[in-house]
Amino acid sequence: MGLRDFVDAILGKSTLPKAKSEKLFAMSTASITLESNLGLKPSGSAGICFKPIGASAYESARKEIQELLEYSSKETETEFRLEKDEFNFLWAIFKDPDFEDLVANIHLVSETLEEHGFGGQLLCAIYRFDSEPEAGNSSRGKAVYWIYNFKQGTYYPFVPLSGKQRDNPFEFKLRAEMEREMPIEENVEKWYPLWGIPF
Amino acid sequence: MKRKWERDLGLQGRMIFTMFLLAAVYLFFLAFLSYNGTPPVFMMLFVGSFMAIQYFYSDRLVLWSTGAQIVSENEAPQLHGIITRLCAIADLPKPKVAIVRTQVPNAFATGRNQNNAVVAVTTGILDKLSPAELEAVLAHELTHVKNRDMAVMTIASFISTLAFYFVRNIIYFGGMGGDRRKDGGGILLVWLVSLAVWVVSFLLTRALSRYREYAADRGAAVITGQPSNLASALMKISGVMSRVPSEDLRSVEGMNAFFIIPAISGSSIMDVFSTHPSVEKRIAKLEKMQQDLG
Repeated sequence: MGLRDFVDAILGKSTLPKAKSEKLFAMSTASITLESNLGLKPSGSAGICFKPIGASAYESARKEIQELLEYSSKETETEFRLEKDEFNFLWAIFKDPDFEDLVANIHLVSETLEEHGFGGQLLCAIYRFDSEPEAGNSSRGKAVYWIYNFKQGTYYPFVPLSGKQRDNPFEFKLRAEMEREMPIEENVEKWYPLWGIPF
Repeated sequence: MKRKWERDLGLQGRMIFTMFLLAAVYLFFLAFLSYNGTPPVFMMLFVGSFMAIQYFYSDRLVLWSTGAQIVSENEAPQLHGIITRLCAIADLPKPKVAIVRTQVPNAFATGRNQNNAVVAVTTGILDKLSPAELEAVLAHELTHVKNRDMAVMTIASFISTLAFYFVRNIIYFGGMGGDRRKDGGGILLVWLVSLAVWVVSFLLTRALSRYREYAADRGAAVITGQPSNLASALMKISGVMSRVPSEDLRSVEGMNAFFIIPAISGSSIMDVFSTHPSVEKRIAKLEKMQQDLG
């Protein structure tokens, strides 16, 4: 806690920390290791989750992002859609078989949101990977999400199972494997899940 | 990390060094006691018989004191199955298998050598761990058997226990041989030396004990080829796993829980006195092994 945070805390002020999007790119190289060492294939989907303040800001943000997405996706031919969830958070969801294009889009959108003063409202960016189905198990593999926390500038793994359970052993294994390649959130108490990710 | 099973020179060196130092303090201790009038024959008999009991009955003593029940292959087929497989990989004779009925998740190995070993697990650990994690924990315990570090620990801790016993009952022992030296100063000196022996042997066994835990972690990693399974078992047992939150990020974001930085326990002076290294340190080492494997 810095002096300023301390003064803020005493005066009862609270400011949202600035978003840190510079470490987002760690995912481009990490995805190669994820696929070759852990058999995790990029699913071709990724998204950004953020919270617009107030109804009017929500609409203007939505419009801005819509325009931005239309512009940026033209270049990379990335599919996108906007979705609002039960928590009133807005999701920008991208689909692109080219992983580099996904990362580029996620970065571009988060940068633009920051430029327009929405940095504090950026919650997270999420990349989805799919694990190979286990031997003897005919069902498809698990969804493995890497959640980028804009406030911390760190990633953490999230592997949901049915019934709001998560595969903690696998998540810890992912941390052990990827620690050297990506900035991973050290404090497991911040590995918050996001149930019902819409992609 | 080397996949091949190799002699753990670090562990063996430490075992020999500990035994040597302990023997030195031990002999010094005995010499001192006899100098102060305790009949040597009595000392030798007493110590010899206790060591023999400790050595030959240590496994039964441990089982008796923990309430562990030896289980047959029919009673616990899955547990036996895992251990049989691990023993084949580690080239070990199959130990006896025991279960302790308690919800405290734990496991231990005991016995004086590879042919007289017992591996015990609690019902709590059986309930809590996945098969892969249980396998990693059992591989850890079997490594204790493989490394033969139990016998050393048994003897080493016996010496420290004996010194402790002297520290407590020194008046009685002092009285036994009080013919030659009637002065109370001698007894006080014996007491002080016993205390010193106890403290030194206690610290030595603690140091060895922690090293052998790391050695067993390494062995488990080699046997199973999956250090992360033991890491996740340790996290489950120690409660680190339960620190991973289950409430949704979006629901806690409003309360700013996102920004709170809880402190994770650091190291402390108590580290010196614990037999096991901190879980954080063991997990960090296991994760390093996992990375080296990848």
